[in-house]
Amino acid sequence: MLVRILGAVFGEEFPAVLAAAQEGSEAAFTRLWLDANPALLRYLRVIAPESAEDAAAETWLQVVRGLRRFRGDEAAWRAWLFTTARRRVIDASRRRSRRREEPLHDAPAEALPVAADAADEAMERLGTQSAIALLGELPRLQAEVVLLRVLAGLDTNAVARLLGRSPGAVRIAGHRGLRRLAEILARAGVTL
Amino acid sequence: MPSLPWTAHQDGSPVDDDTFLESLLAGNGLQAGAGAELRPVADALAALGAHPAGDELTGLAAARDEFRRRVAEPARVRQSHRWRSVGLVSRLGIRVASAAAVAVMGFGGAAAVAYAGALPSSWQQFAHRTIGAPAHGASHEARAATGAAGSAAHRPRSRHTAHQARSGGPPARHGFQYHTRPPHHAGPPPARPFVHLVRPPIVPPAGRWPPPLRNIIHWPVRTEQIGPDASVSNAGSMRGVS
Repeated sequence: MLVRILGAVFGEEFPAVLAAAQEGSEAAFTRLWLDANPALLRYLRVIAPESAEDAAAETWLQVVRGLRRFRGDEAAWRAWLFTTARRRVIDASRRRSRRREEPLHDAPAEALPVAADAADEAMERLGTQSAIALLGELPRLQAEVVLLRVLAGLDTNAVARLLGRSPGAVRIAGHRGLRRLAEILARAGVTL
Repeated sequence: MPSLPWTAHQDGSPVDDDTFLESLLAGNGLQAGAGAELRPVADALAALGAHPAGDELTGLAAARDEFRRRVAEPARVRQSHRWRSVGLVSRLGIRVASAAAVAVMGFGGAAAVAYAGALPSSWQQFAHRTIGAPAHGASHEARAATGAAGSAAHRPRSRHTAHQARSGGPPARHGFQYHTRPPHHAGPPPARPFVHLVRPPIVPPAGRWPPPLRNIIHWPVRTEQIGPDASVSNAGSMRGVS
């Protein structure tokens, strides 16, 4: 049985924690941050591995600015958080693409990022970092759907709204992502 | 092409069963009946949601700083303002404001009644001396004079006489009955008398200057009746000033 450590840990307590944070309680805000930031960071490490920490910091700045205006339950809170993070990543990638002037193949070989073989890492140990690296092997949409559903605890409709896709497309992408994950793990010989 | 454990039997394979996949995505873990092929996937997803590592909690200080600046401090300021506005005003200001309002309403109402000549005689006299309200009996005289002028024109000219004409009884004591319906008779609507308290110029009596004090503080009452024909009648009495 999979026990979710991250996500949906507040439950019925969430409205009180959110209200306290909106009234200025630092302890309540810390609880929100501790609950959400690891999941947020893992999501960002898959979709923006080169700037995940910066994107997470920018996301929290944005969230803090809009915290008093936020209205909604825990699922809406998580959806807002991950939507903000995703927009930060998109904005950052646009900025980078505008600044980039030389094509990638002209860069020196030592400047190119060295990607570890995700399957090899998964064979060694299925730790969190390995799982993140494994998710990075998936196509972007499939990886995002799997991450948002598993890490953020969002349902299909919420993920569809967040990604701007139809619920059917999101469901298919999630299933394909898991099948692809199983393929990668099987190729690497992980058959427990 | 890698050799996958489930490629040989695509139909009915646990990996192709959407129910198992949906269960994994919903965080419900590996359901009974799922094949061994899905166990590594379930483990990978479980590892994805494992306890946070130390490097995943390093941004808290910066987020807290921003929170203090954006949310906590403004909230404290708001609460301080709320205390000042609600606490102090409710405890001190409202009492003072209520007392002032009661005093203003009391004095204003008393002055209005005094100017209408509706106070008891001794009080009316006091008001007459202090704030220049009509003396006791002056308004009655004015009404009587106005009523006389109205009856001379064969139509009720004042509320006093209108009431008298309709009811046939004695006039109201202080003439404060307001009739919204016009009287039942033909012709143009009657003029509604207006009673103005006019301070006439003080004319010192011949041979006596300065005039006696009562000539200054006893303002006479003069009524002006303005009707459709713009006729003005001065039916007041000038006390002490001849």
